[in-house]
Amino acid sequence: MNIVTRKLIAKELHVNRLLVGGGVMSGVASVVLAALGQLGFSIGSLIWLSTIIAMGVILALYGIMNERKEHSLEFIMSLPLSVSDYVRAKMLGLALCFFIAWSISVAGALVLVFAKDSVPDGIAPYVVLLGVFMLANFCVVLCGTMFARNEGTTTLIVIVTNMGVTIFMFIVAPMKGIHDFMWGPVPVWNSAFWAVLGCELAVMVIAFCLPIFLVARRRDFL
Amino acid sequence: MEAKHIEMHGVRKTYRFFTLDDLSLELAPGEVMGFVGPNGAGKSTTLRLAMGLVTPDAGEIRVLGQPMPAASASAKREVGYVSAEMLLLPNATLGWHMDFVKAIYPSWDDAYAMTLVKRFNLRREQNARSLSLGERIKAVLLLTLARRPRLLILDEPTTGLDPVARHEVISEFMDVLQDDSRSVLFSSHNTVDVERISDRITFIDRGRVVESSNKEDFLDRWRRIQLQLPEGAALPALPNIVSRNVDGRFVTLVTDRFSEGFAALLGPNVREVQRMNLEEIFVANVMRHREVRGS
Repeated sequence: MNIVTRKLIAKELHVNRLLVGGGVMSGVASVVLAALGQLGFSIGSLIWLSTIIAMGVILALYGIMNERKEHSLEFIMSLPLSVSDYVRAKMLGLALCFFIAWSISVAGALVLVFAKDSVPDGIAPYVVLLGVFMLANFCVVLCGTMFARNEGTTTLIVIVTNMGVTIFMFIVAPMKGIHDFMWGPVPVWNSAFWAVLGCELAVMVIAFCLPIFLVARRRDFL
Repeated sequence: MEAKHIEMHGVRKTYRFFTLDDLSLELAPGEVMGFVGPNGAGKSTTLRLAMGLVTPDAGEIRVLGQPMPAASASAKREVGYVSAEMLLLPNATLGWHMDFVKAIYPSWDDAYAMTLVKRFNLRREQNARSLSLGERIKAVLLLTLARRPRLLILDEPTTGLDPVARHEVISEFMDVLQDDSRSVLFSSHNTVDVERISDRITFIDRGRVVESSNKEDFLDRWRRIQLQLPEGAALPALPNIVSRNVDGRFVTLVTDRFSEGFAALLGPNVREVQRMNLEEIFVANVMRHREVRGS
């Protein structure tokens, strides 16, 4: 990785520091809230989900769309880097920003699951699957925004991926092999879990790599 | 011998409603080329092609001897690009930007950067979002000039600036140009700025280069001639007339090949021979070009 790519990744962390900090605080606060009884759990879970989804959307919109719209992309592209350097640095930088808030939020949720007696440990595989789904979802938003040429397309991508979270919960929560052990006293990491996780990781890898191979080959980047 | 800083040969770029056609351009080391054209003429597209930000459909582009856009990352190490629309990164101060650019360019000149901060009345602590239009352009210029590029590509850098800010920016360019090895490609529709700093001028209109020549050559060749013809006399057939305006016995001619011999052809009918400024030459040139192309 050359110095320009490294500096661009560091730049993403600097430019998005307030958003990442806010995401971490909101994620931690939602876990703390979820530990405070039944109502707290419901509200906390909702904030936890919303924080991770919103982080992904805002990072993609501000990090890619706004940079293009407000012409700071021209400043970046005046630096000694190729389009593929830019796409790679942008994907890695934004993914790192998201990963910081996402990993702390998901780790917090798992700590809550294992530490709180009122929450069954059996839900841990589902929390992991939901967490990884949102990471994959973020990669899809990032990928779509990289390809999108206008705000309308980006908005459509955001709406579809947001719906994806609800659809995921509707499909995976009642799945045999997931639902059966969800409320049990011990987590069960069975084949159903690994199959869903495998799909999520595959989507994530494809969504992450696609712009690096395809957007970087565009004839007109600006 | 050092390679041309910019070489474009037979470049074509087609968009849905615009085509840049058969563009050829050469910029020698140390040369300052004013690239003048109306809005939508293709100036920004040309400059983006030179920066490797856009890929041509046909033709060849080399910048500092390197093929574009294939070697854009390497060529841009020694090229400074400024556009009027360019914005710095939000949520970051000017000081952060200076450190960011410094870390990328080993040629960054700290002392010169601080001189420019003072000269442009900027502050390192200023957030990019809080900069006015003039400050924004000066900040981008500072970040570009302090890395001491061999080639400067400037896309209408003075657009929207007040006269004082424009003077400051142009004066800074003049300082940079003291170094004979640096070259500048400067696009603008403000002919006053171009006339001030350029030694070569290229006019472009509707995606085609209309004319490219030495600035002094343009100013020497173009004249507006006012004639008063005797009663009943007809205007003799004259070569190299760009435009003619007849009002009874009073005739105004514009020529792009003025010489003493030309004036002699008109004899005692000549009332006045006026030098034309670059803006007048530019407008007359573009209008003739459009007439020839039949639009």
